[in-house]
Amino acid sequence: MRTNRKPLYQRKVFIIIMILFLGFVGIQFVRPDVPNPPVTGDLEVPADVKAIVQRACYDCHSNNTNLRWYDKIVPVYWGVASHIKDGRVDLNFSEWNKLAPADQKAKLWESINQIISGAMPLPSYTAVHTEAKVSPADLAVLKNYLASMVHSKPADTAAINAADKQYQHWEKNEPAITKLPTAANGIAYIPDYKNWQPISTTERFDNNTLRVIFGNDIAVKAIKENNIHPWPNGAIFAKVAWAQLQDKDGTTHTGEFKQVEYMIKDDKKYASTYGWGWARFKTPKMVPYGGANVLFTNECMNCHKPMAAEDFVFTQPIKH
Amino acid sequence: MKVLYSLLAACTLMLAACSDNKPVELYNTKAALPSSPKYNLDGLKVITSFVNKTKGTASTLYGNDLALKAAIEGNKIIAGNEIFTLVTWKQQEDDHWFGAKIPSDVESVEVVKTASSGNTVAVNYQQLNGKALDLKTDTSGQAERIKYILGQKPSVLP
Ligand code: HEC
Ligand code: HEC
Repeated sequence: MRTNRKPLYQRKVFIIIMILFLGFVGIQFVRPDVPNPPVTGDLEVPADVKAIVQRACYDCHSNNTNLRWYDKIVPVYWGVASHIKDGRVDLNFSEWNKLAPADQKAKLWESINQIISGAMPLPSYTAVHTEAKVSPADLAVLKNYLASMVHSKPADTAAINAADKQYQHWEKNEPAITKLPTAANGIAYIPDYKNWQPISTTERFDNNTLRVIFGNDIAVKAIKENNIHPWPNGAIFAKVAWAQLQDKDGTTHTGEFKQVEYMIKDDKKYASTYGWGWARFKTPKMVPYGGANVLFTNECMNCHKPMAAEDFVFTQPIKH
Repeated sequence: MKVLYSLLAACTLMLAACSDNKPVELYNTKAALPSSPKYNLDGLKVITSFVNKTKGTASTLYGNDLALKAAIEGNKIIAGNEIFTLVTWKQQEDDHWFGAKIPSDVESVEVVKTASSGNTVAVNYQQLNGKALDLKTDTSGQAERIKYILGQKPSVLP
């Protein structure tokens, strides 16, 4: 029996498929460039640690990006290219020598925490590149390596003297801050934080600091009333960091004041930065971190991002 | 095919991510201090905070305005109406940050109160132990603890 169907090339479905296909081929030519710039100074860590980082992170965080054929198909390629571009800006293991030793250390601790929280390597990437997944055994290797870098020893005279000198100035109320320093995003230093209530403390053995986290009245009230998920507008945290000053009998005191950081909740005003206003002021002179560059907030947001389910807040307040 | 397969994998993963209901621990319940008439932190300010790595403890010294002022002046003169409160917790690893320790179960709350009458200033000391805040009745060693608490140098809070 004969059907009176049209020839293939006249059928609607066929035409639509052809249009889509041509479109698909066409967009293949819209290709942002992913160059591999020269390696200026590669990450220097033990071989087993490096192998894990290379396998799991180098496609996006180094100048040795190795694109597979399926990464090169648009639109997948667009996503890949933008990940590499963004990834390299924030963290580039091929330009490791451009970071000061303390910053290198900080990036490694941040990295392992991003891995532990499941934020890195990007899940959308490991779904395809399964070989890039960081196994529990890999994680143990990374943790051991970082733990081996932690040393605590009694403070040397230089640290003690620096702390003493700073203390004496502070005690006499110098330098008196007359005009409030302001960060690039318009947030000014809030001197009253020291009269707020502490909601927790941390000992940071990754960077040898002690910290106290203060909450303003709105934050403290929200804690009492179990109303912190999300935090109410107007809640403010101030986190203060000091260098550790260890004495001979094992007690570690707060040494030099390093910085105070703020998070100010306002889901409308700060909608573009996770609903929080971010600012950091360094040294007793309260020098705004980031200078005139407002992009410093990306750093804050990237590291706080894994806490999205907790409204981007790390601290678990202590009730009393 | 690989692309399709990948897209599928990505979709499953996204769905998995959404249904991932890891319980959110909002409070540090372990370190919570029971409310009790025996001590009161409301309105007190931070004088300093320290840790003992050998014992694995974290402490915060609180004080009222008079106590904070006296501490900044080195506690050279003890006047009346000063309240110092030293809270000491065991430490625990911070689940949110590999590289940090945060307070855990409370070990003790020590309260130093001064009261002046005429030319003399009386210094009262109380030690409350454990989550139950049991009052320590053995008074030996009190003088030493008072000296220790009053000897703490305030943290620089500019
Ligand atoms: C598929 C690409 C990709 C891979 C693979 C990847 N990252 Fe990332 N990474 C990014 C992007 C993009 C950002 C920028 C922030 C964002 O989008 O979350 C980023 C941000 C980061 C940051 C924050 C940087 C900062 O200081 O602002 C850290 C740390 C990080 N990645 C560590 C890692 C580690 C460690 C690995 C390997 C275990 C890894 N990443 C693998 C794409 C990737
Ligand atoms: C490398 C990771 C990292 C970066 C970058 C970072 N933070 Fe945080 N932040 C933390 C951690 C971890 C805590 C929890 C307290 C602690 O252990 O110090 C925290 C806590 C805080 C808190 C107390 C409230 C809370 O979330 O627990 C404030 C305020 C804060 N950060 C502000 C900032 C600001 C402002 C910036 C950017 C200028 C910033 N942070 C950048 C890791 C980071």
